[in-house]
Amino acid sequence: MNYTDILASKFEPETTGTTIMAVIYDGGLIIGADSRTSSGQFVADRCADKIDYIHDRIFCLRSGSAADTQIIAKHVRYYVDAHAQELGRLPAVATAANLFRNFLYEYKDSLSAAIIVAGWDPYKGPQIFTLPLGGSVIEQKWSIGGSGSTFIWGFCDSNYKDNMTFQEARAFVLHAVAHAMFRDGSSGGIIRLLNVTKDKIEREFIDYKDVPVK
Amino acid sequence: MIFNPEFSAQQQHTTSPIVTGGSVIALAYKGGVVVGVDTLCSYGSMADFKNVEKIAQVSKNTIYVSSGEFSDFQQVVRELAKIDRSALQYDDGVHPSPRDYGNYLARLSYKRRCKINPLYLQNVIAGFHNGERYLGLVDIYGTYLESNFVTTGFASYFCKAIISNYWNDNCTLDQAKQVIRECFKVLFCRDCRAHDVIQLAYVDEQGAHLEQPERVETKWDFSGFKNRANEKLHTQ
Repeated sequence: MNYTDILASKFEPETTGTTIMAVIYDGGLIIGADSRTSSGQFVADRCADKIDYIHDRIFCLRSGSAADTQIIAKHVRYYVDAHAQELGRLPAVATAANLFRNFLYEYKDSLSAAIIVAGWDPYKGPQIFTLPLGGSVIEQKWSIGGSGSTFIWGFCDSNYKDNMTFQEARAFVLHAVAHAMFRDGSSGGIIRLLNVTKDKIEREFIDYKDVPVK
Repeated sequence: MIFNPEFSAQQQHTTSPIVTGGSVIALAYKGGVVVGVDTLCSYGSMADFKNVEKIAQVSKNTIYVSSGEFSDFQQVVRELAKIDRSALQYDDGVHPSPRDYGNYLARLSYKRRCKINPLYLQNVIAGFHNGERYLGLVDIYGTYLESNFVTTGFASYFCKAIISNYWNDNCTLDQAKQVIRECFKVLFCRDCRAHDVIQLAYVDEQGAHLEQPERVETKWDFSGFKNRANEKLHTQ
């Protein structure tokens, strides 16, 4: 056994063991995420921002290896930017999703990355695309991901409704993420929310003391 | 019944824990010893049992807490309770001292270590006997230490610096409790398997006192945390 094997076995890669969520409502979509980045049992970053900017109305939520997802998001951001410059108008959310998919599919044996792409475009309105580990692309009205999501499938399946209002959707995301953080050791800290509509992007910071379930 | 050698040769050896308790921190103060532990038992990475009282009073003036496999902790509590009872058989009015419990646990842990079937625990015994404080640490191998302050688990990495800077063994009970609370705040921020509800207990010449669980306050609303959003970092 050589040195690199020994060192590699002691080093746990930094992952966003995490809870991420996106929900479409009547007029836009809401994205929510916790703020814990863990390296094994150690909290490497207790106030991370897992909502990554791709374009003015396109965002991605990252779970899996932090290194893998960060670099892929960086590439996709560049490609979407170049594409939007040439296009002269807002890019389609599906375009960003497809660019992510190309990476996740081609390199599926080397990557540990699962992404949720969420955004608004003028062609189809608010859209959410889930890209699980192998590189498939599935369009959904709502999506949850990360290790914390396992704890809230029941909650989300019972409480999701089509065409919610903004207030209902915000409460749904807030409580779901809070419930996941309550049980998942790899999720925690504060909750970040993002509201994406045709007209604006609104960020919200939910302090630990305001998290509804502790 | 026919004796089957294949079945008797098979024996389980538990070397990986299932339900685990978190870090324990104990400090001596002027007049006794105070111990703190959180109220969480984790099932792997899941925070399964969030309201567990993990401080065991094994005799009038001795308390026992541990981190690691929770079923082993419960078994040890049963074993330690037997010691005082069986000492009654001598009918001489002598009760085991806290050091006797520490020593017994060290021997028990070492015996299990030698069979490669350890009690998957880091143990802390705290007590007060004959005017003297007692604080002992017994680890998974049966290593036995007495000290004025002990930590287990992640607390050994994060909290020793805090303890060195803010505690001395002649401080008051309230000062020692406050140091422990500060340590658990750091643990809650930096340990994935920590919980912000803790329980404190102290032993002085009157005996053991167990307190109700309390929540520690942590700060998250730094402007650097709020304004950290990635949308500003277009070059990232």
